[in-house]
Amino acid sequence: MEETADYKKIWTLCEKIFPILNDFNTPCNDEEPFLKNDFEEMCYFMKLNGLQDLLQHLVFNKIEKRLRDEVVPEFWSNFKKSDKKGFKPFYNAIKSLYDNYRKFETIIIRLELLRQATDIKVNPYNERNLHEALKLILHSCLLGQLQADYQTVTTSFYEAALKIEDIDETNVNAVCVECSEEKDNCNCVHFFQETNRKIGEMGFLEPLVGQTLTNLSYNYILNHIQKTCKDNYDSFISGLEKWLHTVVITCLKKIYYFDSTLSLNESMEMFEKKLVNYLYNSYTKVRIDQLFNIVIEYPESLPALEDIRLCLPRTDLKPLLTKKLQRAMETRLLHPGVSTTDILTAYVATIRSLKVLDPSGLLLETVTYPIHQYLRSREDTVRCVVSSLTEEGPNDLAEELNRAEPVDENTPIDDEDENWESWTPDPVEPNPTKKPSKDVGINRRNVDIISMLVNIYGSKELFVNEYRTLLADRLLSQYTCDTEKEIRYLELLKLRFGDSHLHFCEVMLKDIADSKRINQRIKEDSEYDENNIQLSTMIVSQQFWPPFKEEKLELHDTVLKQMEDFTKAFETLKGSRTLCWKNHLGIVNMEIALNDRTLNLSVSPVHATIIMHFQDKSVWELEELSKVMQCPPTILRRKIGFWLSHGILTEIKTDVFSVQEETESQTVTQEDFYVEEFESESAMASAQDQKEEELQNIWSYINGMLMNLDSLSLERIHHMLKMFAFQGPTTECTQSELKMFLSRKVRERLLIYSNGLYQLPK
Amino acid sequence: MKVTIKQWTGVASWKWVANDDNCGICRMPFDGCCPDCKLPGDDCPLVWGQCSHCFHMHCIVKWLQSQPVNQQCPMCRQEWKFNNK
Ligand SMILES: [Zn+2]
Ligand SMILES: [Zn+2]
Ligand SMILES: [Zn+2]
Repeated sequence: MEETADYKKIWTLCEKIFPILNDFNTPCNDEEPFLKNDFEEMCYFMKLNGLQDLLQHLVFNKIEKRLRDEVVPEFWSNFKKSDKKGFKPFYNAIKSLYDNYRKFETIIIRLELLRQATDIKVNPYNERNLHEALKLILHSCLLGQLQADYQTVTTSFYEAALKIEDIDETNVNAVCVECSEEKDNCNCVHFFQETNRKIGEMGFLEPLVGQTLTNLSYNYILNHIQKTCKDNYDSFISGLEKWLHTVVITCLKKIYYFDSTLSLNESMEMFEKKLVNYLYNSYTKVRIDQLFNIVIEYPESLPALEDIRLCLPRTDLKPLLTKKLQRAMETRLLHPGVSTTDILTAYVATIRSLKVLDPSGLLLETVTYPIHQYLRSREDTVRCVVSSLTEEGPNDLAEELNRAEPVDENTPIDDEDENWESWTPDPVEPNPTKKPSKDVGINRRNVDIISMLVNIYGSKELFVNEYRTLLADRLLSQYTCDTEKEIRYLELLKLRFGDSHLHFCEVMLKDIADSKRINQRIKEDSEYDENNIQLSTMIVSQQFWPPFKEEKLELHDTVLKQMEDFTKAFETLKGSRTLCWKNHLGIVNMEIALNDRTLNLSVSPVHATIIMHFQDKSVWELEELSKVMQCPPTILRRKIGFWLSHGILTEIKTDVFSVQEETESQTVTQEDFYVEEFESESAMASAQDQKEEELQNIWSYINGMLMNLDSLSLERIHHMLKMFAFQGPTTECTQSELKMFLSRKVRERLLIYSNGLYQLPK
Repeated sequence: MKVTIKQWTGVASWKWVANDDNCGICRMPFDGCCPDCKLPGDDCPLVWGQCSHCFHMHCIVKWLQSQPVNQQCPMCRQEWKFNNK
């Protein structure tokens, strides 16, 4: 019985020293002091009865139960509140958890005393000591009851911390970004530091918020990069790296500073490496997404390109870059909605930018291959290239032509951003099997834009021919055109394409200069009378000009008379030579005075002739005028349309036209017109017309051959034509073009094709 | 209506007045130039013989130089004499 009483007494003692042994519903103060005698008595009794291990076990059980059923649920309840933003929720949760933790620590200290006094050997949970055991229980309870969206709260806590750290130095605000209090009254930094210390002491930083911090840092960095780089192609990488250290890593160091589980250096070193890598990767990815625009904005975007070049070796993103840029080109550039000129401009910018990114040229070949393919399929590419080469005003291609040295594959190229020390072999990545064989000829280390453009076609002749046609158009449409500039371009083109190809153009330009002199001489000629019409003439060496469009036109008598006089004067000046007039070519400057208005216009000879006839007779029937001008009615009607649209003629009834002396509406007043329709029309036969004409010419050869030799294969015909028929400056006809032509003749039943041989129908 | 032509800029091609299109020696068009020349017209003129045949001047001179004994027109084999018409 006495023993029972003793037990009871001892239990009361135990409850006094370890109040937690009480039912947890009754409030108890674990920190209440106890009497030394009580403690010693308890220890004595425990030791005597060998109950010390059991007591330790009981206390730990109670701690665990209290943590699991009371403390941790209370902790997590902070996470369920509706307001999850900012510092407060997590700060409060940690604060109350920590208070409880401190109380448990007191119990642990008493247990330590018990262990010393009673010589307990058993370690709860096999931990090093009781403190570690407490932490273990705390961690497992916390994680065991983890809230599904606990990261919302932890994230907003640390995000607030990052924002406080990330204050733009140039824009120091007197108010805290988090609590909106004046800086002096703000406790945020203190809250933050206190929470970090408490978590560090309880040792669950990594298990509870490690992942949050990683995710948050990544998102925060990515956001910052995106904000920084948006529509801005400056260089940012060094600034970003500095920002990463001064803001993100500094903030993380403050957090990990209190972490008791790892040394600061150990934990941060890894994290820092991860973050720097992530920064480089993300920045490069963001830039790759913008790359099409960056390319288009070249050279303004050069800093961004330099950044990418710097970052690429630190990432594995080259294949991504190639793929994305190629796709962007296809979706944004290579479709019918984009004009050829724009594609060419983009193409030049691409060449220049990719040269910055990858001086080896491999990337360039891979990315531009689809552009080549596409440009080849566009009909007006050559024309656009040639016209932009010679266009007025600042222009990429013209600039390139001025800059480019004559291509000589043998001379060593000294590339400023390449010296032997930094030389590396060509990288091998972009899939070499995909490399188009046609472009192999391009010297990779010397990317010459004009050559690349010409190589799209593989034919200088085609290129030069197009240039010749455009030059002819320009010379004929503007008599006063800047021949000096044209000569300068011609010299540049000669450097590039060689004299022989451009010889024809040289003669054309000389014709213009000669014409000016001859006109001058003729005007000074006392025999020559210029009363009727001020006539000046472009005298061309027809053999050297591209074929002119043939159009029949009978000019007005006064003009014809003037031309006759001019021809006579020319014949006198240049013995044994005469002139063949191209009546439909030229440009006429005229003034038309009507009752209520006067117009000054530049028009084509056919337009001028029409209006001159209306001066003689104010009403004409279409048919009648067509006869006089020897111009087919359908064409004439279209030309009259020009005067109708200017309100000078009017159609009084079907196919009968009359001068409109007075305007009905007041819209047309004195104005200087320059006629667009006239300007845009080429005086030259188009390349297709030329080819067609050539083919028609060879048709007579083919006929003759077949009449003599009965039947011939395609190859034979082509071969014989090459020997006899193809002459002159235009490109000769390929075998496949010939085949198409002959097939057409077969369809027209002018030829018979059987057993691979062509013959004439009997 | 009063129409005043202030300036008429016409286009014409020049042409030798000869009885053939091509030079009988080099087979190139008269309105082009001989194989040694780059520029037609004044720089590569035509000359007529008294036989009325005409050639690029450079062509006939070359031809005559290659015929030290009998200087004949390559077309009609008559003695070549320049016609200074
Ligand atoms: Zn000749
Ligand atoms: Zn000559
Ligand atoms: Zn003769």
